[in-house]
Amino acid sequence: MYIIQNNKLKQTLIDWSAKFDVFAPQQVENYSQYQPINPEKELILSDIHNTRFPPKAFFLPQSEVMLKFNAKLNKLEDYIPKPKPRILFGIRPCDAKAIILLDTVFCTEEYHDPYWKNKRDATIIIGMGCNDPCQTCFCTTVGGSPFNHDGLDALITEVDGALFVETFNEKANELFYSFSKATKEQEKHVHLIQKSTKSGMNKAFETKGLKQNLDQIFESEYWTQISESCLGCGVCTFLCPTCFCFDIVDEIYRNQRVRNWDTCMFRVYSQEASGHNPRPTRKERTRQRLMHKFSYWLDHVGEIGCTGCGRCVRYCPVGLDIRAMLSASYEAESEVVNV
Amino acid sequence: METNPKIILFQCQWCLYSEPDQQWVDHELPPFIHLVKTPCTGRINPLYILNAIQGGADGIIISGCLPEKCHFKEGNLSAFRQMDEFVNFLDHIGYEKSRVRFIWIDLQDRGRIQREISDFLTQISILGKANTLTTRIEVAAGGLNA
Amino acid sequence: MLDLKTKLQNEMTRLLNENLVDVFIAFKKEDSPLRPQPAFFRNTKELAQLEYNGLCQNNLANYLPKYSQETRIGMVVRGCESRSVNALIIEKQHPRQNLYLVGIPCSGIIDLKKIINSVGEEVTSFEEDEDIVSVVHKGQEIKFNRRELLHDSCLNCVYPNPVNADVMLTEPLPEGDPSIVREKVESFQELSRSERYEWFRHEAERCIRCYACREACPMCYCSECFVDHATPRWSESTVSPAGKHAWHIIRAFHQTGRCTSCGACERACPMDIKMTYLTDKLNFDMYENYEFVPGMDEKTQPPFASFNMDDKKRFVL
Repeated sequence: MYIIQNNKLKQTLIDWSAKFDVFAPQQVENYSQYQPINPEKELILSDIHNTRFPPKAFFLPQSEVMLKFNAKLNKLEDYIPKPKPRILFGIRPCDAKAIILLDTVFCTEEYHDPYWKNKRDATIIIGMGCNDPCQTCFCTTVGGSPFNHDGLDALITEVDGALFVETFNEKANELFYSFSKATKEQEKHVHLIQKSTKSGMNKAFETKGLKQNLDQIFESEYWTQISESCLGCGVCTFLCPTCFCFDIVDEIYRNQRVRNWDTCMFRVYSQEASGHNPRPTRKERTRQRLMHKFSYWLDHVGEIGCTGCGRCVRYCPVGLDIRAMLSASYEAESEVVNV
Repeated sequence: METNPKIILFQCQWCLYSEPDQQWVDHELPPFIHLVKTPCTGRINPLYILNAIQGGADGIIISGCLPEKCHFKEGNLSAFRQMDEFVNFLDHIGYEKSRVRFIWIDLQDRGRIQREISDFLTQISILGKANTLTTRIEVAAGGLNA
Repeated sequence: MLDLKTKLQNEMTRLLNENLVDVFIAFKKEDSPLRPQPAFFRNTKELAQLEYNGLCQNNLANYLPKYSQETRIGMVVRGCESRSVNALIIEKQHPRQNLYLVGIPCSGIIDLKKIINSVGEEVTSFEEDEDIVSVVHKGQEIKFNRRELLHDSCLNCVYPNPVNADVMLTEPLPEGDPSIVREKVESFQELSRSERYEWFRHEAERCIRCYACREACPMCYCSECFVDHATPRWSESTVSPAGKHAWHIIRAFHQTGRCTSCGACERACPMDIKMTYLTDKLNFDMYENYEFVPGMDEKTQPPFASFNMDDKKRFVL
């Protein structure tokens, strides 16, 4: 474990930017967002919340060019850029775990998305643990923790103005090797703080049996009730670190084929060319969102597709709370299916 | 201006009743004036104007028939309030109002379109190249949003 | 406010018991702190969940177009909401005879973002009376003047009283001064052209095209929005400046003569983007040029739906 004094951190990041593009959370309006580090700007690392906009955008940008073409000249050009090596600094464990979950979609054994992979290979991810989890965080409920290592090359824990760094591989060691090492005493102290912060978090809803319950109540009126106030906007999906659905469009004006984020909450998402829509009303779409995260993800890769970051709870325009919706689902009446 | 301005002319297909005028617009417009013919000015959606501006138009002319003389009776009237307000609105956020000119052409007024275009070009050359809202630029490949 | 909630509950009980409505749209208690939610009451047992306070930030008229025309809907409406309801009635989104409107003269909606920006995000409780709001943040109580927390749209509110309610639960409040909006619009216009464009560009830059503004707006109910139209594709969905500018400009413009300045769009935005300065300008122009205020009654067509031969004298020929 290494130590960096808080007041030396900015200089460290600036030093790293000789070889890497370094991104860290900084102030934008009233919230924080990942931006290239700017010596003039304050870093926002131990804010109670993570950034509003999720860091999945570093690997799956909201709009990404895939092809360039020229209709007049009948020319086509693949466009798979390799970014300069970069460091994503200050990411929270919930967001880092989300990137691992997205790897199961974009970077499997048999197939990998070259756009995703190039960015992934070029990025070192250094996490910042959460000393003060907020009331909308529920990472521990879904198998994570405020100091989880998943997806991180290194994890920083802040204790009394000093930053204690745990490195998990060579890539991270190379960045930190010149810093002083923590004593055994300090290491123990840091681990104690991590453990007590984790155990201080409440369970938001029961996950044992959640999938079975959701599957059972698929046809229930429960979904009509909870979706009635849902606006069907894209806030929860766009701010969600594990949502990955996209739409590919040929933008003729730009001579480009572009991949954009899409959301299952929009009616047109599931609209078919025939005009038929398998998710015609809000009920089916809201149900889809919850079932995908807490049932279908388990079918596909054996993990819950949510890391408990809480953004959907904080920014839903109508105050829908996924934790309450899941808790209440246990009381929903399941339909009796006649076999 | 050193380079020629980019002008879009939205022309109602009925407003240039005189053959010579229509011929002139069809064949002798300067190459930097792009012609978009519509069945009526009522067909013009503010979104077309905005597309023209974002594509870099330094000036836009919309020419239609006089109020009582619309081929479709009231088509040009329904457009008018919208176009006027839209241009005011764009001015509010920084695209000069005088870059969009709306003219109602009297069928008897031969040569009107040429006079208007010539006058408009003078005005645009004073205003210079448009530097607001002309944003259709390439998406940075692999770029981060916001 | 507590007294108001009781009055509302009594009225709702009566309506539901006497089967005068099929559903009553109001608000229910929060699941996460300080977030009461729109709720749809169909029987009196559910009324224990009823909530009504300054944090009820959604425009309930938004839900009207989602119901069939035959559904008998009851709603609690404040000033701007009632005008949105009228605007929807004019556009035939729901017949007036199938609506029962319970009016509450509005002393303004609290902007939750103002509380958070002032004290922090971990606010756990909220109490208010006519003048003072008090919140608890990390165990500490902090008091505010209610007026300093009001959403910007509410600070400019001219018509706080519902215009078409079947019953009013409290005494009407004094109307605001229309010149407030004029001042706001004119002070923006006093900025130089490039400053105005820079403000617009700066606000639109943060947009993530989530369309929360569109979904929160009662007047955005088109079955196909112009951004979803594919043949031909007028508007790009790429999150480029061009795409974001077009979205903000055209969505605001489609509200001309229909927007009631409720501010629900701004409150819904997850990136804290300001957009009411756009619709304020449009509403102001409608008032100045056509003496039209959206939704004051259920008959008058908005200016864009009609034309007067006198108009031509105002425009450049």
